[in-house]
Amino acid sequence: MSTESAAVAPRPAAVPSPTAVFVRLKLSLLRNGLRQSTGRTLAYIASVIVGLLFAAGAVLGLIALRGNDHVGALVVLLTGILTLGWAVMPLFFPTGDETLDPTRLVMLPLRPRPLIVSLLVASLVGIGPVVTLALITGSVIAVAHGTAATVVGVLAVVLVVLVCVSLARAVATASVRLLTSRRGRDLAVLSGLFIAIGSQGVNIAAQKLGRPDGLSVLEPLGNVLRWVPPASAVSAVEDAGHGAYGRAAAGLALTALALVLLLWWWQRTLTALMTSPDSSTLQAVEKDSARRGGNGERGLARLLPDGRTGTVMLRTLRYAWRDPKSKMAWATALGVGLLVPVVSSVQGNGSIYTAFSASALLGMQMYNQFGQDTSAFWMVASTIATPRDAYQELRARALTLAMVAVPFVTLVVVGAAAFIGPWSDFLEVYGLSLAVLGALLATGALSSALFPYSIPSEGNKNVAPGQGAIAWFSLFGGLLIGSVLCAPLLALTIWLHVAGLHHLLWLLLPVGAVYGTGIAELGLRLAAPRVARRLPEILVAVSKG
Amino acid sequence: MANEPEQNEERAESAPPERASAASVDGPAAAPDGAAAGPPAVRIQGLWKKFGEQIAVNGIDLTLPAGRFIGLVGPNGAGKTTTLSMVTGLLRPDSGLVEIGGHDVWRDPVAVKSRIGVLPEGLRLFERLSGRELLGYIGRLRGLPGDEVDKRAGQLLDVLDLSGSQHKLVVDYSTGMRKKIGLAAALLHNPEILFLDEPFEGVDPVSAQTIRGVLERYTASGATVIFSSHVMELVESLCDWVAVMAAGRIRADGPIAQVRGAAPSLQDAFLELVGANDRGAGQSLDWLGGGGAR
Ligand SMILES: Nc1ncnc2c1ncn2[C@@H]1O[C@H](COP(=O)(O)OP(=O)(O)OP(=O)(O)O)[C@@H](O)[C@H]1O
Ligand SMILES: [Mg+2]
Repeated sequence: MSTESAAVAPRPAAVPSPTAVFVRLKLSLLRNGLRQSTGRTLAYIASVIVGLLFAAGAVLGLIALRGNDHVGALVVLLTGILTLGWAVMPLFFPTGDETLDPTRLVMLPLRPRPLIVSLLVASLVGIGPVVTLALITGSVIAVAHGTAATVVGVLAVVLVVLVCVSLARAVATASVRLLTSRRGRDLAVLSGLFIAIGSQGVNIAAQKLGRPDGLSVLEPLGNVLRWVPPASAVSAVEDAGHGAYGRAAAGLALTALALVLLLWWWQRTLTALMTSPDSSTLQAVEKDSARRGGNGERGLARLLPDGRTGTVMLRTLRYAWRDPKSKMAWATALGVGLLVPVVSSVQGNGSIYTAFSASALLGMQMYNQFGQDTSAFWMVASTIATPRDAYQELRARALTLAMVAVPFVTLVVVGAAAFIGPWSDFLEVYGLSLAVLGALLATGALSSALFPYSIPSEGNKNVAPGQGAIAWFSLFGGLLIGSVLCAPLLALTIWLHVAGLHHLLWLLLPVGAVYGTGIAELGLRLAAPRVARRLPEILVAVSKG
Repeated sequence: MANEPEQNEERAESAPPERASAASVDGPAAAPDGAAAGPPAVRIQGLWKKFGEQIAVNGIDLTLPAGRFIGLVGPNGAGKTTTLSMVTGLLRPDSGLVEIGGHDVWRDPVAVKSRIGVLPEGLRLFERLSGRELLGYIGRLRGLPGDEVDKRAGQLLDVLDLSGSQHKLVVDYSTGMRKKIGLAAALLHNPEILFLDEPFEGVDPVSAQTIRGVLERYTASGATVIFSSHVMELVESLCDWVAVMAAGRIRADGPIAQVRGAAPSLQDAFLELVGANDRGAGQSLDWLGGGGAR
């Protein structure tokens, strides 16, 4: 590394431009990386070859698609996916590129603007930008017809590659602090959720594209994306080919504007990062002290009832927002509860009964209440002396859940009635949903008392090793018992249908609401003395991991 | 704590108002039951706990007088944490009796839980609350009125030098700050008896001095502090009563002068009691040091 480091150090005689320095630094880092070991060299060369082969194949495929009706939408989508990849890559591979680690640049006496330019140029060196360049060039070739389109195409390639690279750098810079702080670790817990939802999306997309004439489903998405930079630059090429010069200019301008904004954002975060001390904790203090001001939480605290009930509700709500595990559980329940009816209605085989997913998933949030506290449950345990205390504790948690679940279930059932229909089933489904929610609150309270288990705070696991059986047993047993508990109402519904008493079906709403409330109350009353009696056992069970 | 709640009268009668000096402690200590006026702070009989094959607490009998500053000392794994957890109702014993202020911990939790404050070891706090929110939460759970909780929380945060971080989430606190906020949470409802598991671990000297001040003032008003520690100098200078544990048993207990006996310091008495004096590190680690090859 001796020659390279000499090249990097600014020479006193003629100070080289920082751009040249950074590019040379980047090249020498690549070379040094290759020198380290044969295994690494081979892996690197293999990845280069695979990358280039992939790029070549994609380019050939794109060129072969030239003239296809839907190729415009396809290249726009491809650009969008590529950009997304560049945006999230620094989050998943934070140490991808040492030249770009801003903390290593702190000591250099460089002004922000030349620094940004040199860093940007340096980031263009590498296999990623080459592959991107190839893909975008292929895309442009696939849609460019005519001289004007060719000119626009050249501009578009340059702009798109620059946007991608600066997007990655800007995100990386902005997230440096994040990825080394507690907030970053919190985010890592949530990343599982993003990946799960994302893979579901990819799965559905792949299914749709696989059908005959699958490319046509891209059109609606392409219509939106074509105005989103940097895809707008690629669609500008197509527009220019059609003679729509106004649209082409607008597309290019949008991407150029995005590039300028990105560079500005990057420069700002970089300057802030390099001029302030490493203060991830200090920042947290500043942000948290904003909490002191009479913000929403204060108002919320005033709305909640006094005593244990309000106190526990406030804590549970704060945790739903601040604790990554709670947040993830809530997000999953709300998201999946909404997604099931939406997806099934999109696929065309929907039924208004899919709205039950909302109350089922939210009701399941009542399970393992104390596991969500982790070993901090000792604070709860040391303040519960009587079954009455335990009842209040459980009721407060159930109320918090109901406070979110009842409006949400209402919303989902109304939505299902509106988009899937028929409205004539609305009242019975709504009533049954409330009954299901109540039954799950009841069984959830009981299983929280009888089958608690630990939720590890780090990572994506929601069950501590060795407690998986308890978790599955309590969840499925609870669901089973919950549905048995709803059997009387189901029987009533079926009977009303079979007996042809359709004009009485509305009864199910009040009956379901009352039944749900009653059964939840019963469950809480049954669970409370068990919680009060089993406090040490629950504490041991939730303190693992 | 300047503000005195109603529990205080009750406590004043059960314990001497002033912390007795080490010399005068010797008198009543001759009678192991301590102050005859009221029930002892803690009475333990035949306390047992087994984790699998491991006997963590091996049949303890122990009576700790009220109104004292009591140290529970012992080597690692002696069973201090296990004992304190069972005494405070956080861990169910396999067998045995625990009474706090004359009330059975397991039969009469209502009387016990409001009278004790606990700082456990190895258990988390509700870390996604800020320090102030945590105190507000636990105080209200204890049934104190909201205004009173906020007032006391503010004073405790001030005294413990946590005011600057009161709006920071506890998850971002350092080890010592967590100990201090845990101590504040244990003191908030002005308990009669305070159980602290290694309260000085990870606490800087300045804060340790502050905590000492708070605790000394608290015992001076007749309350009882029972804390575990490994630091003999600290125990010697703070406590007027010690219990020495080793391998799940009580090796000695009583006023500090009595436990120290003829030994020059508590440290020496302790090493002798737990049988560690002759276990020098010299013979078996003869390869260690000197910077020689491997
Ligand atoms: N949950 C548990 N499961 C199994 N064994 C345990 C458990 N808790 C404690 N033990 C064992 O019980 C014994 C006593 O442990 P304890 O934590 O009470 O010791 P300690 O005196 O507090 O030690 P230290 O000074 O290191 O804190 C140890 O041998 C320990 O291994
Ligand atoms: Mg311990």
